[in-house]
Amino acid sequence: MTVAEDELSLVFSALADPTRRAILERLAEGDATVSQLTEPFAMTQQAVSKHLKVLERARLITRTRTAQSRPCALDTERLDAAAGWIARHREVWADRHDRLERHLAALRDRDGETP
Amino acid sequence: MTETGEMTYRRVHRASPELLFDCMTTPEHLTCFWGPAGTTTPLDGIVVDLRPGGTFETTMVGDDGGTYTMKATYAEVRRPERLVWIEPGVEGGMKTTITFRDLGDGRTEVVTHQTNVPAAYLSAEARAGFATSLDRFDAYLAGLNREDT
Repeated sequence: MTVAEDELSLVFSALADPTRRAILERLAEGDATVSQLTEPFAMTQQAVSKHLKVLERARLITRTRTAQSRPCALDTERLDAAAGWIARHREVWADRHDRLERHLAALRDRDGETP
Repeated sequence: MTETGEMTYRRVHRASPELLFDCMTTPEHLTCFWGPAGTTTPLDGIVVDLRPGGTFETTMVGDDGGTYTMKATYAEVRRPERLVWIEPGVEGGMKTTITFRDLGDGRTEVVTHQTNVPAAYLSAEARAGFATSLDRFDAYLAGLNREDT
């Protein structure tokens, strides 16, 4: 899956907030309306709606346009992409150090001693 | 530059901090391991001007002949313990810090730290509950914790 990096920036900044992560946790259990999502938090429906907008813009959630209650649903594709992005960066360094290790071993063999 | 997060990768090598520092900063060494996998980094595609403000560039050539050039500027050069460069073209500025720590037994711990890598994993990692319902993220963080401890 390829996702443009600026889209990922939206995902990561959306995930940086603990309330929004808690909302995602709740949605991982099943779809919920704004009022259902507001219940566990000590904040207004309006404040929760703001967080939902951020999550929606990052495409971490989807909201039904037609229904009056507009239930929210988790959209895991972007989250997977975000985890994949970090994993790819780490993989580059892991591979690099694997090769560095071999390079160091080759240097030791050449010099016939432990550097 | 807004710092939104960070990523850390640790590795211990059987070599002195000096040698490892030189490996990371000498084209003749870099060409042997810079990679990444599936690519090579020819000697003539590596520019190292080893001083704060100096250029660090590597052109990686893929199996398919495609090239990608990493353009960075050194911010800190302190042999053999610390090396910092910044890639201005990546996500508003990606800072890579490599520290070399002598373990005193012929081995050196190399810690690569990248900041302005998005915040998710750090903050998510701090809130252990977050990942439980989100399988791939969870698996990823678990791997991360194992490697880092």
